[in-house]
Amino acid sequence: MERIPFRKEELEITAPPLLTGRLGVPVLNTPITPRENCLMFLRGEEPLWMPFFSDTLSLTPAVDPDNVARGFVFDATGFNPVESGGGPDKFGVIWEYVPSVGGSMVRPGSPKVPDITEWEEYITFPDIDSWDWAGSAEKNRKLIEQDIFLRGTTILTGLFERLISFCDMDEALIAMVDEDEQEAVHRLFSRLADFYPKLIRKFREYYNIDIVTFHDDWGSQRAPLLSLDTVREMIVPYLRKISDAAHEMGIYFELHSCGKNEMLVPAMIEAGVDMWNGQPMNDKKMLAEKYGDQIIIGADLPALPEGASDQEIREACQSFIDTFNSYRTYGGRARGVPGAREILYEYSRIAKCGRAV
Amino acid sequence: MSKIEEIASMVERGKAKLIPGLVEEAIAEGCDPVEILNKGMIDAMSVVGEKFQRNEIFVPEMLVAARAMKKGVEALKPHLGSDANVSIGKAVVGTVQGDLHDIGKNLVCLMLESAGFLVQDLGVDVPKERFLEAAADPEVKIVGVSALLTTTMPAMRDTVALLNEAPNRADFKVMVGGAPITAEFAAEIGADAYTTDAASCASVAKAFVTG
Repeated sequence: MERIPFRKEELEITAPPLLTGRLGVPVLNTPITPRENCLMFLRGEEPLWMPFFSDTLSLTPAVDPDNVARGFVFDATGFNPVESGGGPDKFGVIWEYVPSVGGSMVRPGSPKVPDITEWEEYITFPDIDSWDWAGSAEKNRKLIEQDIFLRGTTILTGLFERLISFCDMDEALIAMVDEDEQEAVHRLFSRLADFYPKLIRKFREYYNIDIVTFHDDWGSQRAPLLSLDTVREMIVPYLRKISDAAHEMGIYFELHSCGKNEMLVPAMIEAGVDMWNGQPMNDKKMLAEKYGDQIIIGADLPALPEGASDQEIREACQSFIDTFNSYRTYGGRARGVPGAREILYEYSRIAKCGRAV
Repeated sequence: MSKIEEIASMVERGKAKLIPGLVEEAIAEGCDPVEILNKGMIDAMSVVGEKFQRNEIFVPEMLVAARAMKKGVEALKPHLGSDANVSIGKAVVGTVQGDLHDIGKNLVCLMLESAGFLVQDLGVDVPKERFLEAAADPEVKIVGVSALLTTTMPAMRDTVALLNEAPNRADFKVMVGGAPITAEFAAEIGADAYTTDAASCASVAKAFVTG
């Protein structure tokens, strides 16, 4: 690919956001599409700019009940989570949507599975063939057929999170290390590792996705919830099976895992994860240096104070690009920072390809 | 290795099934039940807390250790005598209204219990009035208030403000914690202490009541 230098005209808006709501961004006059740029990057080639979170159009349609339960429907239907979020997920677990958080939780105290060793008595796997995939795809036809942005979806409740949703946090954590319960967790994760590829295949078939983001939080603010050994023993074999299946379908596999999970990155690599979208409390530069040849690290723009000046925003963006441009990283969401996407794009383009004279 | 050391080792490793038998063996060998409790269990949980703070172990290992200690205390109770008071005070703990997160609060409950407190767990999504009501118990020495979300920090502020108006406020300490909470915020809202994790919460709470 020719290293096309940056021209100021690239910042012109050529089309409004394809997706309404907070995840939609306008289309810029880029020399290649964000999707082409992302695919180059994912293939291991040098992109024309650092790909950003907003370069992916991730659809999480209501056809999967998890997306409604978690208040996380992003598609063409204009879903209102405050009115319609919450309720049963695809396994019948009831979630409560919390407007102030913008997400849902299972109220602890009355778990669907009171004894994890007998989970088969309480859990029925959903028949996803019976869902109206064709009808859902029809509603989102224009978004599915777009090839400006990378096409993605998110599986909101992964392996560990699914276990938590079934039996509450404390019991889930204990089950991951208690030798009397681990066998049941292995059985559950094995079934889920068969199930998720079928779900991904539906999204491939009906939503033509390039990438799937697998949501499984493994950490807390200060440290991982689980040791590296536990993750390796209990999660990696199953996550590997899921990522392998995605790769066989030609789909890239991103892990979204909140918490300070730096020490779990080796497990992510062993599980076949292509990209990790982690939180800012992780040392992204260290991780990019150490593991950048094995996994793509998502890096967040440093938090800026409310009311930051244009100059402060520009300096933060330049510093971010200076820090991460040489690594195989992508830019996370620049939450609440006006104009940051365009500034980051410009600086990244110049860093990678220079400026047109 | 003495029997008490063996108990301590099994508590640290979370071997709940083995603890009751070891307690019985220790009693049969003539060990002092109070020493079994203090050195075999409470001290062992302190070690667990320290390892947790150093990221040598993680939350599940802490939970199974606490569960093992609980089994040990159950086995020990008949030998402690009816007048033996092993509690160093009562603590009430809850997550503030609007917040459904419970793992941090649960860990605090476990570590306070392990440190010798009698703990009343108020649960999650707890109205400030419920904290006040629980704190009215003259036995209460510690009120623990948890919040995981930045959006529920105002509820923590309101809860602490109400607790600070309690007529018996001098009788208990208010401790706060949770991912977005800082020592500065704790001081600003009038809490007595902030700690970064459950293990240090138990240490500070114990220092409050034992002087």
